[in-house]
Amino acid sequence: MNPLINMLSHASRIGVIARHAFTQLVRMKVFYFLAFFAVILIGSNFFDLPQHEGPESAGINILRSIKSWSLGAMTLFSVVLSIVATALLLPKDVEDRTLYTILAKPVPRIDYLAGKLIGVLLLVFVSLALMDVLMTGILHLRTEMVLADQMAVAEARNWPAQDVALLKSDILAQGPTASLQGAVFSVFLRATIIASMAMLISTFSSSTLFTTIISFLIYFVGHFQADARAAYFTHEAGTGDGFWLRGVALLISLVLPDFQLFNVIDAVIEGQVLPLLILGKLTLIGLFYFVFYVIASWLVFARKEF
Amino acid sequence: MTQGKRYAVLVLAVLVMGAVRLPFERALNADLRDAGLMPPELEVKTSDRIGQTFSAVSLGGLRTLVATFLNLRAFSFFTEQRWADVADTFDTIVDLAPRTRYYWDTGSWHQSYNAASYYLYESKLPGLRRKLGWRESILKGRDFLERGIRNNPEDPILRERLGFLLSDSNKIAAFGDVNKAYEASYDAYMSAVGIGNSRWLAKRFALYSLARVPGSEREALAMAKEVRAEQGRDTPTMLGLLYTLGYHEDPSQSVDKLIDSVFPSREVAYEVLGGLWMRTRDRYPVYGVARGIALLEAELKVPAERSVLKQELPRPMIPEDYFAPKK
Repeated sequence: MNPLINMLSHASRIGVIARHAFTQLVRMKVFYFLAFFAVILIGSNFFDLPQHEGPESAGINILRSIKSWSLGAMTLFSVVLSIVATALLLPKDVEDRTLYTILAKPVPRIDYLAGKLIGVLLLVFVSLALMDVLMTGILHLRTEMVLADQMAVAEARNWPAQDVALLKSDILAQGPTASLQGAVFSVFLRATIIASMAMLISTFSSSTLFTTIISFLIYFVGHFQADARAAYFTHEAGTGDGFWLRGVALLISLVLPDFQLFNVIDAVIEGQVLPLLILGKLTLIGLFYFVFYVIASWLVFARKEF
Repeated sequence: MTQGKRYAVLVLAVLVMGAVRLPFERALNADLRDAGLMPPELEVKTSDRIGQTFSAVSLGGLRTLVATFLNLRAFSFFTEQRWADVADTFDTIVDLAPRTRYYWDTGSWHQSYNAASYYLYESKLPGLRRKLGWRESILKGRDFLERGIRNNPEDPILRERLGFLLSDSNKIAAFGDVNKAYEASYDAYMSAVGIGNSRWLAKRFALYSLARVPGSEREALAMAKEVRAEQGRDTPTMLGLLYTLGYHEDPSQSVDKLIDSVFPSREVAYEVLGGLWMRTRDRYPVYGVARGIALLEAELKVPAERSVLKQELPRPMIPEDYFAPKK
C-alpha cells in the first residue's frame, strides 16, 4: 500500500477512536466540574477578600489572585481528569466488551491506544480552553476596572506621563497576556505527559484504582526529579552511602519525567514573561513523552490476551 | 517475543530514553532558572512552616496559590496585631513567591509602619519594651525590603520604598546615625533611577535625601538645578532647597537677590521659607532661612508677635520623648 495512504488510514482510524473516546467521556458528565471552576473564579473576583492595599495599588493584587486561583484550579482539574479518564478507558472497554469488537476488526493496537489517549487529551484541551476563556474574560473585565480606577487616581494627583505609563504597564502585566495563554498551554502539556504515562501503566495494571494511585504517586515524585538529578550530578562519586544515593538519584532521573519544568506558571502569575522559545522547548518535551509512552504502551499491549 | 522479554525491552527503553532526555531537561532547567522562570527551591524552614500544605505546593504550579492563601492568613494576624506571626507568614510568602513585589512591599510596610506604630502608641506596654519593639520593627521592615531588592534587582519600586523608609522623619531615629540613613536613602533612590523605569519622584526624593547629608550641599545644589530643569514642578520643598543650598554656597551674597532668583514672588518666598523653618522634624538644612524670613517680614509688614521666628519649633522625632516612662 502507498505509505501516504497507509498513514492517512492510520490517522483516520485514530481520529474515529479519539472521537469516540471523547464522546464517551463527555457522556460521563465530566464537564460539570466547569461549574465549580466558575464558582471559584467568580469567588476570587467578586468576593472582597481581605487584602492589605494602599490607594496606589488598590485592585492590582486581585488580578494576581484571579490568575493564581484559576491556574491552580486548572492544574488540579487537568491532572485529575487526565489520570482518572485514562485509567478508566481500557478497563471500561473491557467491561463493556467494546474492546473485543474493536480488536476483532483490522485495527492496529497502536491506533487504538493513540486514539484513546488523544480522546482524553482532547477532553482535557477543551476543558482547559473553556476555563481559559472564562479566566481571560473575567481577568480582562477586572483589569479594565482596575485600570480605570488607577488612571482616575493618577489624574487626580496630576501624575506625569512617565509615571502613568509605568502604572499602566504594571497593571497590564497582571492582566490577560500572551504569557498567560502560554502558562495555560504548559498546564495542558503537563496533563499530556501524565495522561500518556497513565496510559502506559493501565496497559499492564490490573485495576483502575492501581493505575490511578500509581499515576498520582509518579506525578508527586516527578516534582522531585530535578532534585534527584541535581543530587546525581553534584554528589561525589564513591562507595558506600554516596554510591547508593547516586544510584537511586540516577534511577529516578531516568525513569520519571521532570514535572517541575512546567512550574513556569508560577512565574507567569507573578507577572513574568514566558518566552516563546521556552514554551517551544516545553512543547518538545511534551511531544517526546507522548510519542514515547504511546510506543511503550503498544509494546506491552500488542500481544496482550483478553 | 514473550511477555517477559517485552517487559525487559520496555525497562531498557525507559532507561535509554531517560538518558537521552536527561541532558535536555537539565539544560532547560538551567535556562528557566537563568530567565527567572523557575522559583528557587523551598528552604526546609519554609516547608516546616507550611506543614501539610507543602504536599500541595509540591504538586506543582501551586506555590503562588498557597502564597495567596497565606496572604489572607497574614491579614487576620494583622487585624489581631500579632506582629511576630505577620512577620513569619510574610517570610513564608516571599519564599513561595519571591518575584512578587507586592508581598515584599506589604511585608515590610506591616513591620516598619503598622507594628512600629503599635509599639509607639500601645500605652499598656512598658516604655523600654515599646522602644525596643518600635526600633526592631522598623529595622525588620528595612531588612525585609533589602531582601526583596536582592531577589528583584531589576525592580525600581522596591528601591524607592527603601529610600522612602530610610528618610521617613518618623522612622529615621531608629536607624541610629541619621546622616548615614539619609545617605543610604539617597543611594536607594538613585539606584532606582539607575535601573530606569523609575517614577519621576525617585530622582526628586533622592535630592531631598542628599540635601540632608551634611557636606553634600554643593552636590545637592547642582542636583536641585538639574531636577528643576528636567521636571519643572516648583514645589515648596524644591524652592526652599534652592534657596538654602544657594545661600550655603555663598553666605556673603545678597539675600534679597537670592530670593528674587529663586521665588516667583515675595509672598511665596515668605510662605516657603516659613514652612521650611518650622519643618524641624524633616531635618532640612536652613542656611540663611532666618535671614530671609526677617527680611521678608520687614518688607511684608508682618507684626512682630506673629513672626515665624518667634514661634516654638517642634522637636524632631526623638525616641526618648516618646518612650520615656510616664510621670
